[in-house]
Amino acid sequence: MQYPKNHRQIVGELMNGRFILSRENHFEELKQNEQEFYSPFFQKSFGHKLIITQEYAYLVSEDTDENISRDISIFFAIFCYELDKHGKNFLDGLQYSEYSFEEVNSYFENSSFLDLIHTNKQLKDIDARRRLLFTTMKNRNIIEKTSEDKFNFTPAYKVFNVFAEELGKTRTEKNIQPND
Amino acid sequence: MIKAEPKSILNFIAVYFDVIRDLFDTQTNEGIIRKETLAIMLDKHRKDIKSQLIEYKIIRPVNDDFELRDVYHKLIEFVLFEFRPMLPEEIEKFGFSISELFRKIKEGISGDKNILLEWLNSISTEIKSFSDSVEKNSIRLLSETRDLKANVNRIDYKEKIVKASFWIQYYIKPLNTILDVNHSESISNKLVDISQYANQRQLNFDDEAVRKSFQKLYYLLRQTNDDLLKQSKILTNELLPLIERIRTENLILTGWIEFLKRPYKISTPQLLKTDTDKPYSSKIYLNTKEYFEQFTLAEEVIIEEETEQVQRWIYKKAHYKKKLIEKLPLENFFDWCNEELKDEENEITTEKVFALTGLLFEEDLKIGFSDKGEIIKIKTATSNLNVPKLIVKRNAVS
Repeated sequence: MQYPKNHRQIVGELMNGRFILSRENHFEELKQNEQEFYSPFFQKSFGHKLIITQEYAYLVSEDTDENISRDISIFFAIFCYELDKHGKNFLDGLQYSEYSFEEVNSYFENSSFLDLIHTNKQLKDIDARRRLLFTTMKNRNIIEKTSEDKFNFTPAYKVFNVFAEELGKTRTEKNIQPND
Repeated sequence: MIKAEPKSILNFIAVYFDVIRDLFDTQTNEGIIRKETLAIMLDKHRKDIKSQLIEYKIIRPVNDDFELRDVYHKLIEFVLFEFRPMLPEEIEKFGFSISELFRKIKEGISGDKNILLEWLNSISTEIKSFSDSVEKNSIRLLSETRDLKANVNRIDYKEKIVKASFWIQYYIKPLNTILDVNHSESISNKLVDISQYANQRQLNFDDEAVRKSFQKLYYLLRQTNDDLLKQSKILTNELLPLIERIRTENLILTGWIEFLKRPYKISTPQLLKTDTDKPYSSKIYLNTKEYFEQFTLAEEVIIEEETEQVQRWIYKKAHYKKKLIEKLPLENFFDWCNEELKDEENEITTEKVFALTGLLFEEDLKIGFSDKGEIIKIKTATSNLNVPKLIVKRNAVS
């Protein structure tokens, strides 16, 4: 049997919970073989669902990593809120800006959600936040480091924005329902 | 009938433009200029020009109040580039009149030449008005949208969504339909039909005046179609994406705020659980470390302040000077220092020796050196000091 090129890398990264981005070489290989090979392969071998969009691919499982997903969601929620509060366009920021850890950290230090931040193990202090960004999110390819202390977000952040947008829609629909 | 010279009216507008601009703003915001408001404005500018404003027909009375005449309103609107956003229904009316005139032109093509020329003139006027309205609306909508995007008025994000949705629903999408040349009922589509018809007739009509009129109409339509295409591009490439982005951005923010209200009760996006690490995996070390760090309890660190009181040495100049004077004349100043400090219970420090050295600068003491230039050693807690042998006597002058 002939396996697709970069098969080992594709499986290794996806099984480590990493997002594969469209700008990476093996994304095209994964996409071309999605229907024929990879979707059934991950489903039948591990029970995982392969999700491929125009910009990234990743695996999800029934048994989801709820803690990490929640911590990253709280991170994005507070970060977007703080950027907006400081008059910055957070969508442009996530898409195009480079951030230093110091800058991100200062948003959290001065946030109005301090109670929530202090009770979250991944966000509670400067070391925890550095670990969340530069270990957890970097390993999953949600951020990429550009220098020792600087990074930018990869398109994988959109998974979390889509989640927030759906929540926002539900909220807005609730608001416009009569007798609510 | 206006008695004044046209130049006088234009000069009047130029001289009193600040007043007229205020009147324009008031009418734009309130729909009318109340007589009290007019009085306040004239008073503010210290100009008593109410009679001229009426005489030059710049404003007209409406019951007890006033309004800017339409022609001046449009002039000020144009020179300030501040256009009122027009509802698509106001623009669509041009579509009806253009269609009706086009139908008459086609039906009366073989009829009376004079009325045909009138219809051709009228349709040109309507087309120009239509094109102007579209352009003005695009300018205004673009400015409104950019203000909304930059949140110039610092409005609440929910209000931003409502405003963005409002502009899309009532202004931008209907305007897009009017301009969409692929839409069979759009005005742009009608103009394409008229343009083709005028093109044929400019080449194929017996009467020269009518032929020239068709030619003029054809060139006007070519220009108009180019202009409309430009406006349509602004709408589809800039305005719609911009306003969609505002809507999306605000929906996301609404979602995040909703999430932050109950962050542990809402299901978050599914992510793969990577619990299948093998001991030989390259990531096993960091992942294990990260896992255990989550449960690490930080040890409580208590800093106990030293309770033992350290007695500080205080340099009592008067005390030492008195003792020094009692010993005068002195053969070796630093020896004396050494002895003095030794007598006290605390250790000899460099700081204490230097403090005593300050006594040498007292005016009632005379300092001399030993002829041999001897150097003596003093041992302090931290250093060995090499100092000259100094002779101290009472100053004869003092």
